Amino acid sequence: MTAVDLAQLALGNLRRTKLRSFLTILGVVVGIGALLSMVSFGTGMQKNVTRALEDNDLFTSIFVTRQKIDFDAAVSGDIENAIGSFEKPAPVLNDSVLQSILGIEGVDMAFPEIRFPGKIFSFGQSAKTTIQALPVTMERFRPFNSLLYGTFFRNDTCRGAVLNHHVLRELKIRLSAPGAHTPLSTEDSLRGFRTMHPDSVIGSEIELITTIVDIKKVLQNPLQAVTGTQNLPVRESRLRFRISGILPPESGFESGRFNAGIFLPFHTARSIPRMGFASVWDLLDSTPENAGYGSVYVRVQKMRDVESVAASIRAMGFGTFSIMDQLKEIRQGFLILDSLLGAVGVIALFVAALGIINTMVMSILERTREIGVMKAIGGSEAEIRAIFFIEAGVIGFLGGIFGLGLGWIVTRIANVVGNHLLSAQGVPHVRFFHFPPWLLLGALAFSVCVSLLAGLYPASRAARVDPVKALRHD
Amino acid sequence: MLFTYKRGMSFQMENTMIQVQNLSRTYMKGMVKVHALRNISFSMSRGEFTAIVGRSGSGKSTLLNLIGGLDTATSGHLIVNQKDLTSMKRMELAHHRRFTVGMIFQSFNLIPSRTALENVSLALTFGNVPGKKRDLLAAALLSKVGLNTRMHHKPGELSGGEAQRVAIARALANHPVILLADEPTGNLDVKTSAEILDLLVALNRSEGVTVLMVTHDEKSAGKTAHRMIQLQDGRIIHDISSRGPQ
Repeated sequence: MTAVDLAQLALGNLRRTKLRSFLTILGVVVGIGALLSMVSFGTGMQKNVTRALEDNDLFTSIFVTRQKIDFDAAVSGDIENAIGSFEKPAPVLNDSVLQSILGIEGVDMAFPEIRFPGKIFSFGQSAKTTIQALPVTMERFRPFNSLLYGTFFRNDTCRGAVLNHHVLRELKIRLSAPGAHTPLSTEDSLRGFRTMHPDSVIGSEIELITTIVDIKKVLQNPLQAVTGTQNLPVRESRLRFRISGILPPESGFESGRFNAGIFLPFHTARSIPRMGFASVWDLLDSTPENAGYGSVYVRVQKMRDVESVAASIRAMGFGTFSIMDQLKEIRQGFLILDSLLGAVGVIALFVAALGIINTMVMSILERTREIGVMKAIGGSEAEIRAIFFIEAGVIGFLGGIFGLGLGWIVTRIANVVGNHLLSAQGVPHVRFFHFPPWLLLGALAFSVCVSLLAGLYPASRAARVDPVKALRHD
Repeated sequence: MLFTYKRGMSFQMENTMIQVQNLSRTYMKGMVKVHALRNISFSMSRGEFTAIVGRSGSGKSTLLNLIGGLDTATSGHLIVNQKDLTSMKRMELAHHRRFTVGMIFQSFNLIPSRTALENVSLALTFGNVPGKKRDLLAAALLSKVGLNTRMHHKPGELSGGEAQRVAIARALANHPVILLADEPTGNLDVKTSAEILDLLVALNRSEGVTVLMVTHDEKSAGKTAHRMIQLQDGRIIHDISSRGPQ
């Protein structure tokens, strides 16, 4: 008997019990559908996060800090060592260090991270936000190489500013899509929002207010400066900028290294009068010996340079942080997530496998006489086992194919519903599910394998049917 | 010509189709040991038509199942077509059932979901007949047993006589040298029974196929068979040839 004959017999048997075969296959369909939806969600999340990290150029970024923090000691619970690393005198991150870092092979650019709080006034509204200084060379990189509207600032000394999309919302402005009338939602109009054309936003003036220490006040009442929090000896500094570009909103998964509200040219921002601290801790910690930058952002040319450049910087006595350090943990985390999600699908498939066993055992009970007849006319045990085994395989294959279809439909619906819910909160469109080819082929192969395993017992039971008993005349 | 059987040669050994030597079959029925066959011996020549008669439980069907390779003996030897079944592996027994013997039963044992043609065709499938030839061959076999018109009917739509003809066609599918019939007329009326017996006799005569038929109807057995073996409690109590007792 050829393989084709065996397959025809198996298919014929399935066709004869259409409803039962359909229900059994449906069980596998649901199992594979669940497995595929779950795992594709895991891989989708992983892809989104990885892409977000890539989009933010985090794979080529190193953050240099003054303190050499012993993360490993901290993670492994060696608190003394971890704390000890803070206590050692740290070198200062100043311009000469910056030059040394720039001299390391593979370094593309390095600039100190200058961020400070400020308040902006524009279009009759005000918003509190963070200001970040960026060199004009950042124009080449994400997210600044793909501005929503306008252009990056021309040089490091001009009075241009790039606004982050979320600041516009704080300024109660909603941008209208070019060439389209975008009505405001009832909620937005009640909150006093207004629609503006991007062209009229670009080039508009914006006033930046920062806080500086008022020397006069300090001199007038030196005691008050150290005793109370009321009437601190500070005054406001006001500067005018022109909006040159607007950053697109972040997708839900971008961790946002560049999440400041407003970006200013590096030298311009550096010269803005401000208090040199972002928190009270910075103030307490500031001594003449440790004057310098808090941290430095280093960009390497290629991903593979990250490790070596970071090592060179650490050798200079500084602490480094790059996403590469975390990548292994991130991958492990996703492996756990995928396993947990996959487990749900596997349980569903396990139930389906029990369904297959049940259906086939029932079918054997019903077909005992038929099996006896097949043996009487010369069917060998191997052939009878093969017929039932193939039946199980066909159930698994068909269930797998339709399960992939079901998984696809379910994830499409979930994607639409999920995005609909998230878009209400202003989150841009996200693809939650990802179907790499290995997942599709793997799910199908898994379905067939599980079904074949489920078919092992019924098939061997069918092969062991005693023809004498099966054919006994009742 | 569809069926050609190798005719026996002159000497005795070649001419013996079935040789039963001290054959016993016991099995457990709950806690009780049942002796279905007790140390029986006989032999059958090629082309012989033998009837085995006896009451229920005398061991007739057990003997037939042993010769058919559906069951295995507890002790003794059973040589069919010069091969000892008692030393055969399961795979060899399947081959024996497929090519050496053809079996028909009282309750026909056709597969109800398959048409007459498909039932015969299934046996040909097990006989490794290529797909294209199967239907033609099955149709020819059905015509041979006188069932030209109802080939595409399922067993439920056939009369008892017609169903038994389909079973005979199926039994003949892979050119067996022995036809084993277990109460082939047990479910049929007198007229149809006579027709089926006539068919078996015709096959025995024209094709030279050895027939071993189990029946409780001694009267008709005596008319059709060359020889009648009577069993009682697993033993042979009479062995009568139409040419006189053996």
